[in-house]
Amino acid sequence: MQPANLKYTRDHEWIGQDGAQYVVGITEFAQNQLGDITYVELPQVGRQVQQHEETAVVESVKAASDIYAPVAGTVAAVNEALESKPELVNKDPYGAGWFFKLEDIETSQLSALMDEAAYRTFLAEESH
Amino acid sequence: MRKTPLHDEYAAHDAKVVDFHGWALPVQFAGIVQEHLHTRSKAGIFDCSHMGEFLVQGQAALAALDRLVYADLLHLPPGRCRYSAILNDAGGVVDDCVGLRLGPEELYLVTNAGPLDDVAGLLDCPGITHLSDATTKIDVQGPLSREVLLSIGLEDVAPLKYWTGARMRWRGDEIIVTRAGYTGELGYELFVPNHLGVLLWRTLTAHPAVAPCGLGARDTLRTEVGYPLNGEDLSPTKTALESGMERFIDWNKQFIGKRALEKQRARPHSVLTAIRSLDRRAPRHGFELKHEDRVVGQVTSGTFGPSVGTGVGLADLPQELARPGIQLAAGPRGLVVETAEIPIYKHGTCRMKFE
Repeated sequence: MQPANLKYTRDHEWIGQDGAQYVVGITEFAQNQLGDITYVELPQVGRQVQQHEETAVVESVKAASDIYAPVAGTVAAVNEALESKPELVNKDPYGAGWFFKLEDIETSQLSALMDEAAYRTFLAEESH
Repeated sequence: MRKTPLHDEYAAHDAKVVDFHGWALPVQFAGIVQEHLHTRSKAGIFDCSHMGEFLVQGQAALAALDRLVYADLLHLPPGRCRYSAILNDAGGVVDDCVGLRLGPEELYLVTNAGPLDDVAGLLDCPGITHLSDATTKIDVQGPLSREVLLSIGLEDVAPLKYWTGARMRWRGDEIIVTRAGYTGELGYELFVPNHLGVLLWRTLTAHPAVAPCGLGARDTLRTEVGYPLNGEDLSPTKTALESGMERFIDWNKQFIGKRALEKQRARPHSVLTAIRSLDRRAPRHGFELKHEDRVVGQVTSGTFGPSVGTGVGLADLPQELARPGIQLAAGPRGLVVETAEIPIYKHGTCRMKFE
């Protein structure tokens, strides 16, 4: 996924279109903040989630954090590679480190999310 | 935040700096897991200059110190180190510490950063010199640590056995080295005057076997071998017996807190116990522990253990559950953990012997 083509949440998730589905992951900033990721708990395929619902859990050496659904939808696929290689999230957060895919999403919620430029501004403001 | 004499060296190694008991210290450099594994296989170095050091000289000062600690530091043979703690009247742990007997009338005491003001107050008496602000402390830990120190001109570490130490010279100055540490690996703690700190750090980081390591790796390394952390697993509201220190206590001597411990010893009490999870999920500080649906204790420290591949931690548990192999449910999601023997990681090189 190209960061320029993605939408972003204030919780540092990204979402990007892949055909009829929407891939969700966490940003470079988020993986860097979390540090070494040691465990990822993924949702059941077929689960319906609301926007902001806790959908996955990521554990780093230091702490456990929830990953929220950026938009409402149905879980269509999960990245099973993370079960044995959670470090993929650190190495390739916009590629091999994706978490899950959603379908039948609420498209109005998607368009309301930040684009890359807005997310960069948000990060710059957060760090002050 | 206070800065150690090595603070300006962190940036060259991409450190992430955090507040630890009011000190700006690196939590990681290259990454916690990488630093952890490097220390277990080669040599990691840690800036521990935030810790406390005291020089105790003369019989009166030694006797004053002896009343504050539960181990017998008075009869510690020269060259030997001993683990102990300073307790309050209720037997609670004010601070844990290590004493190195330097000579017949001289002892070097190493304490922690968190309670340092309180400890300095307790140790404020003639013959005890507070050296924390003048001392840079660098821990060199890992199976290659001895080779590294020999290669930088510290030949005098060669004869040091586990839990011994000595004064030696480096670059024209007197330093103190103990063969001790907080990782379970062969390792040394170097106490040098501040003006030598940066030179020592740079000399060490120039060695190809050495990687700078932060508080994060220090924490995962110590948790895997079951060493408690002051402020996390130890506190003034928890007694030495509850902190799993019974085997270090000398009941034949007098010390502050002894009466409380003697009373508690006869009754059931909780004991700090190692736990581990069955997969990569980690128990975390503050998690409640349930045994057969009853809350029995809580996790005091917990993290992922990179060398064992599971979550590891320490927990307060009732004595009857403080033995290996008891299954418990941890935290709001009921993570399955088991009580474990200390050390959880059993391949540490700290006791390695040399010809």
